[in-house]
Amino acid sequence: MSDDENTTTSTVTFTPNTSEKIQSALQSLTTIVNPTLSVTSSTTPLSILNECQIYAQIAALLRSPNSGAGDNNLCRWLYDTFQSNVADLQLTILRFLPIIAGVYLSRVAERKPQAGFEAVLLALYAHETTTRAGEPVTVTIPDMSHPSVYHESKTTVNKNNATDRNIAVLSPLLEPHGTVRSTRRARIVGVAFELFYSKISQMSIAPKIDFCKFCKIWAGQNGDMYKYFEDEDDEEDEEESNEVKIEKDKESEEIKRGRVPMPWELLQPVMRILGHCLLGPNNKNTKLFEAASEACRCLFARAMHDVNPNAILPMRSLLRLSKNIDEFDATEPPKTDVISL
Amino acid sequence: MESSENERLSVREVHANGSRMNASEVEAKLDEGNIQEAESALRDGLSLNFEEARALLGKLEYQRGNVEGALRVFDGIDLHAAIQRLQSSFSEKSPAKKGRTRTESPSSVSQHGANLVLEAIYLKSKSQQKLGKFADAANDCKRILDAVEKIFYQGIPNFQVDNKLQEIVSHAVELLPELWKQGGFYDEAISAYRRALLSQWNLDNDCCSRIQKSFVVFLLYSGVEASPPSLAVQIDGSYVPKNNLEEAILLLMILIRKFCAGKIKWDPSIMEHLTFALSVCSQTSILAKQFEDLMPGVYHRIDRWSSLALCHCAAGQNVSALNLLRKSLHKHERPDDLTLLLLAAKICSEDPYLASEGVGHAQRAVSNAHGSNEHLKGVALRMLGLCLGKQAKAASSDFERSRLQSKALESLEEATRFEKNNSDLIFELAVQYAEQRNLTAALRSARHFFNETGGSIVKAWILLALILSAQQRFAEAEVVTDAALEQIVRWEQGPLLKLKAKLKISQLKPMDAIETYRYLLALVQAQKKSFGSFRVSSKVEDDKVNEFDIWHGLANLYASLSHWKDAEICLQKARELKQYSAAILRTEEC
Repeated sequence: MSDDENTTTSTVTFTPNTSEKIQSALQSLTTIVNPTLSVTSSTTPLSILNECQIYAQIAALLRSPNSGAGDNNLCRWLYDTFQSNVADLQLTILRFLPIIAGVYLSRVAERKPQAGFEAVLLALYAHETTTRAGEPVTVTIPDMSHPSVYHESKTTVNKNNATDRNIAVLSPLLEPHGTVRSTRRARIVGVAFELFYSKISQMSIAPKIDFCKFCKIWAGQNGDMYKYFEDEDDEEDEEESNEVKIEKDKESEEIKRGRVPMPWELLQPVMRILGHCLLGPNNKNTKLFEAASEACRCLFARAMHDVNPNAILPMRSLLRLSKNIDEFDATEPPKTDVISL
Repeated sequence: MESSENERLSVREVHANGSRMNASEVEAKLDEGNIQEAESALRDGLSLNFEEARALLGKLEYQRGNVEGALRVFDGIDLHAAIQRLQSSFSEKSPAKKGRTRTESPSSVSQHGANLVLEAIYLKSKSQQKLGKFADAANDCKRILDAVEKIFYQGIPNFQVDNKLQEIVSHAVELLPELWKQGGFYDEAISAYRRALLSQWNLDNDCCSRIQKSFVVFLLYSGVEASPPSLAVQIDGSYVPKNNLEEAILLLMILIRKFCAGKIKWDPSIMEHLTFALSVCSQTSILAKQFEDLMPGVYHRIDRWSSLALCHCAAGQNVSALNLLRKSLHKHERPDDLTLLLLAAKICSEDPYLASEGVGHAQRAVSNAHGSNEHLKGVALRMLGLCLGKQAKAASSDFERSRLQSKALESLEEATRFEKNNSDLIFELAVQYAEQRNLTAALRSARHFFNETGGSIVKAWILLALILSAQQRFAEAEVVTDAALEQIVRWEQGPLLKLKAKLKISQLKPMDAIETYRYLLALVQAQKKSFGSFRVSSKVEDDKVNEFDIWHGLANLYASLSHWKDAEICLQKARELKQYSAAILRTEEC
């Protein structure tokens, strides 16, 4: 199986141009971080770019104090690499979005120059604008009075009864933006997250965990009180040792400092990504699941503190769903004392 | 091996052809690694042929949890050949038979063979799954379905199939998408789900619903965008979902229908998934409809009312939301539910005539914010402050107004002790200070809010400009307004332009004001034209400037300049929009 996987990811037929671009992206990265890995028979330039070690190094640089400035080399590299238009490289860059957006949004109030981060975010936004070609993303809500492919009886077609179908705008039309205007900041970051979400099934665990951790910071709210949400005996575990409490208080101060405005245009893609982390195919990864559960509790707490029904409803559902994951496997044949043909 | 030790206790006997054998006998041979001996023991003891013995051995190994052993046993059967034999034996007789035959007909004999082979493949597939060989498992599982599909190419009829075969088929149908998914083969998983749900497998309701739900979870959370179902399965006029959300919502609604028709048991997660899906699309009024359609008893009535209230409130239908909240907060229901109290207070805080009711809800929330809800105390105080502030707007006397305003301020200030860094609260505090004409404090809070939110919120700019203009610092207010205009996209500039025009008038620059009004008019007209297209997001709707106000403002302006003719034209325009207006009559008087 693992062999299979390797071949599916690395046998993308590279045009000479593509592999050149990947090679040069790696080259220029070596001036910023020092990859101890070299290209061998078992690695390719692309696989090196996607190494955990490189991810960690870049992540650390992105979190350093002046990381988002306009003359920052790393931001330039991220920008140039994304603009190479090589899908694999774009995916590589996209993995850093949670950290970029996370650091960026929490620094807004500090009024630090962040032109470097903004350039990267705008590049992602522009990419998505081009992809959507001037169309909003819409969803037609099914109307049960119409038959559908999944209806059991396909006979009751009442053609006269043409009730209006409900069209919901999932993401409104994108206007081109050359700079980040402050009132458009949330939208630009939100759209970058929409792009992130569309590639999330190809993403490794690390950026997802980073994303969840930033959710907690953005929420600005500790979510521990919802650990036993709707449990019958929720009074348990109330007593904490003093040390734990002090530790927690310290942490919650940190959380509260990073609180950011959460308008719908940002919250909606954030919730979808979080839904994936909690209930998607790789939620078996306990580290991710725990990070996502905590993010979920914090965002639910935030929704409650904002008394925002638009957020309370979906976050409450995610919280309930994450607490009651059904492990029953109906495909397991029943065990019997008598085995027969 | 300890676990298999336990398993062994539960396995007692092996049955076939009317004979029985003690399982431990066979198992002992297996444990020694003697598959052949175990096999011949079974063949002799139970008069079985080679394949039957192997299948039984595999089953035995599987049941006692030795999946590696099971796999070794199954590898010894040429399943491929067995499938082919099966297909040919079925195709010989299947077309002729129509009516029901007697039980011991040849078809039941070959069905017995089919069961044997298919179950062996199924268990092989399950064994591979447990060993993490998902691709191999999926391919084997798929062979079962391919074989069955070839045999019963017109769907599986009820009467031709015995329970055992149906059970294996159902299991395999359910297992296949799961295997692809676990192996990370998402496109294959989607096809397998669709194949399960759109072909005729004669699945029972529970099995079909489980697959539907599992597909919903995949569609909603995998992040893999499924392409629409192929044209082959589409029927004229039927609804075909074109993306994941649509397909998931459709399946969830079908599941709810099945439950309402009494076909399946209630599964609360269905409603939670639907809540998530519809909330993400901001379609909570459709969600409310789904809650309403559920039969009584599924949810406790107050839980249902409160979910409905959240849906209505999220959809902006505050009146119906409040009615439901009042019912839920009735003294015989749940008068102390903090979520309900806060929501009710919030709705009331937006209307001067409901504000006094809101004060009641908020006070109750304050006194109930203890225990695990203590963290909401600041929120309750904040709601109290907001309601008091709004109530002051409808006060019948100056005295009453200032009393309410001070109380409002008190509550908001107390709330900040609990809700540090809640920027919305800082904004509300600024507004309240401004209402009380404490402009220095108002400006301080407004600036604080502005910095916290990094200028991302339009109302922060507007509030700053308003406070500055209240302090007669018009030039500074204009600087703020101009800076704001640079940060706001054209569609949302309306309120700021209106403010700018007024600032110009205050600075005695009527010609500049007229220019600004003109610009504003062009904007409003452009907005009108694009109304209905998706360009106008709901956010812009809120910020829309009333066209009547602009004409009226312009009329006043021209009148003050003694440009009577222009003023008359503007009044005419205003009158077209609103026939009877005291404001217009007043301007006309002048």
